[in-house]
Amino acid sequence: MAAGGKRPTTVVGESTLLKIKDLDILFRKKDRSDAAVSGLELDIRPGETFGLAGESGCGKSITALSIMGLLPDAARATGEILFRMPETGEVIDLLSLDEAALRSLRGKEIGMVFQEPMTSLNPVFTIGYQIAEVLTTHEGLSKRAATERAVELLRLVRIPSPGQRIKDYPHQLSGGMRQRVMIAMAVACNPSLLIADEPTTALDVTIQAEILNLLHDVKEERGMSVLLITHDLAIISENAERVAVMYAGRIVETAPVERLFQWPAHPYTLGLIQSLPVSREIKLKPIPGSVPAPDELPPGCKFSTRCTYRTTACDIEEPALRLIEEDHRVRCIRAEEIGRQV
Amino acid sequence: MELLRTEDLRKYYAIKTGVFGKAKTLKALDGVSISVDPDRVFAVVGESGCGKSTLARLILRLSRPTAGRVFFKGNDILTINGRGLKDFRKSVQVVFQDPYASLNPRMTVFSILAEPLVIHGLARKKDLRGRVAELLETVGLKPEHMNRYPHEFSGGQRQRICIARALSLSPELIVADEPLSSLDVSIQAQILNLLGDLKREKRLSFVFISHDLNVVNYFADTVAVMYLGRIVEEAEAEQVFEDPRHPYTEMLLDAIPRVRVSSEKAVPKKRSTPAQPATEAPAQGCLFHPRCHRRTSLCTRETPELKDIGGRKVACLLY
Repeated sequence: MAAGGKRPTTVVGESTLLKIKDLDILFRKKDRSDAAVSGLELDIRPGETFGLAGESGCGKSITALSIMGLLPDAARATGEILFRMPETGEVIDLLSLDEAALRSLRGKEIGMVFQEPMTSLNPVFTIGYQIAEVLTTHEGLSKRAATERAVELLRLVRIPSPGQRIKDYPHQLSGGMRQRVMIAMAVACNPSLLIADEPTTALDVTIQAEILNLLHDVKEERGMSVLLITHDLAIISENAERVAVMYAGRIVETAPVERLFQWPAHPYTLGLIQSLPVSREIKLKPIPGSVPAPDELPPGCKFSTRCTYRTTACDIEEPALRLIEEDHRVRCIRAEEIGRQV
Repeated sequence: MELLRTEDLRKYYAIKTGVFGKAKTLKALDGVSISVDPDRVFAVVGESGCGKSTLARLILRLSRPTAGRVFFKGNDILTINGRGLKDFRKSVQVVFQDPYASLNPRMTVFSILAEPLVIHGLARKKDLRGRVAELLETVGLKPEHMNRYPHEFSGGQRQRICIARALSLSPELIVADEPLSSLDVSIQAQILNLLGDLKREKRLSFVFISHDLNVVNYFADTVAVMYLGRIVEEAEAEQVFEDPRHPYTEMLLDAIPRVRVSSEKAVPKKRSTPAQPATEAPAQGCLFHPRCHRRTSLCTRETPELKDIGGRKVACLLY
C-alpha cells in the first residue's frame, strides 16, 4: 500500500502491532482548548486483547477514534500512532495519513465495533448488502462473491439461518443480533486490529456474555488483536490479557490483567476495584468526589483532588508513568506503598 | 405487618404489526404477586423487557393494571382518592434511572426540594430553608448548593438531589427503578453506600429494580427474578446468589462478568446458551423453555406455577 505519510522516527519492535507515543488530543473551544488526552503511550501486541478501562469522559473513546482517523473537526491529535502493516511489515504513522490512505485502511486493516449497533448500521439497506459492501470496496470482490462471503461471515458470528438473514433490515434484528452483524462487518476483511468500544454496554447480561464469547472465538480463529474499551472492570478482567486504566485523559496504570487486579498500585485503580460490589460482607469504599471539569484539573497529579494518599509533592509536579515491575507502569509517586494484595 | 402487597398483577398492551396486521397482546406483566415487609429491600431483577419497570409503575399508581390489585398498608391503592391518595403519595416515593430527565431544569434545588414540603404542608415558610439544608446534608451535598440549578451538578450529585426529594416527605417505601445504571462505578458505589445508610437510619423499605446482579447481591434482602412478565424465582438474596434453583437464575448468574483475582488465563467462561431473543413468549409451555438447557418434553407443554419449595419460590417443572 502507498502509505503516503512521513516515515516514523520511533523504532517499533517486531512484537508490536500498534504503538501510541506521546498522544495529545486537544479540543478547540471558543476561548480555550481542552486536552481530552495527554501524553498517552501504549502498545498492542499481535494476537492479544488489550483492555482500556476508565469512567465516562476519561478519553478512552476519543483515543479509539484517533486511531481510526475519525476525530471530530474540533479535535486535533499530535504525537505518533504507529501501525505495523501485516503484509509488508512496514510501519506507518496513522496520524500523518491523508483521508484517502485512511479510508483504505479503515475496515480493512483496522475494524471497529461501536456501542450502539442500531446507529452504526444503515437502516435503509439489508445487512447482507452492508456486509458485502465492505468486501466489494476493500477486496474488489464481485457482488455475487461478496454476498456469498457475507453469508459465511454471518455463520461465523453464529447467526442462525444466515442465508435468510442477509435479506433482513437492521430493525428486524434484536440488539444482540445487530451487534453480531457489526462484528461480521468489522472482521470481513480480516483486519489485524479490531477496536471494540463498549461493544456490550447496550446489551442484557446474557447477551453480553454471548457477544464477548463470540469476540474471543473470532479473535482466536483469525489471529487478530483486539482493543477492548469498556468502563466495566469485570469485563476487562475476564477478557483482556493486558490493561491500561485511564483518568482525566491520562493512563494512570498499565499492567498484565492478573497483576493489575491482584496488585493495583495507583490509588485510582485501587478505588475502582474497591467500588465494585462483590459480596455483602465487603463494604464498598467509593472514591470521594467526582472527576473535575477539564479546565479545573489540579496542577501536579490530576487525581490528587480525590486521592486519599495525597502528599504536598503531588501538587507540585505531575508524576510520570514509571515502571515498578516488569510490564507494570504506574503514574503515582507512592505506587510502591500503595501496591498491595487486594 | 406487611407494607406492600400486589395480587396477581397484570398489564397487557395491544400491539399492531403493520398497517393491516392483527392486533396482538403483549403481556408486559402476567400475574405478579409480591409482598414487601417494613425495613426490607425487595429487589426485582431481570433483563430488558421482563416487566420490572412496569411493575414499578403499577406499584406507584403511575399506570393502571389490566387486572390485579395493589395494597399499601392494607389499602387498595387503585380505589383510594382525595386524602387517602395524598397520603399514599407521601408514603411512597420514587427514584428514577435518569437523574437528568427527572429534575426540572428551570427550578433551583431549593424549589425542587421545598415543593413537596409545601404541597403536603409539612413545613412553615420560614422553616423551609432549614429543612432543605438538612435534606442536602443527609444526601451528602452542601446547603449552599440549594440556589443552583440541576445543570450545575454532575450525574451523581443529581441522583443525590433526586434521593433528597424522595426523602423530603419521610416516606416509608422508596421505589427505585435502576437508580445506579446511569452512573460511573466510583459514583455508583457512593450512591449505593448512601442508600444503605439511609435504609439503616430511617428504617426505609425499598422496591429496588435493577439489572445489575452484583449491586442487588450487595443491597437486597429479598430477590425476585423476572422473565417475560412473570416471577420465576423468589428467595432471600443469599439463597438466590449462592444456590440458584431456576435455570434462568443460573444462566443470569453465570453470565455476570466478575473480577478475577486468581492467576488463571484469560479465557471467558464457556456458556452453552442458544442465541435466542427473549422478547417473544413461546405459544405454550414454560416461557423460558426455548433458552433452557435443562428442558424436558414436559416443559414445552405445561406452564409451571410459582411454587413454595422449602422457604423459597420457584416456577420450574423440575421442582
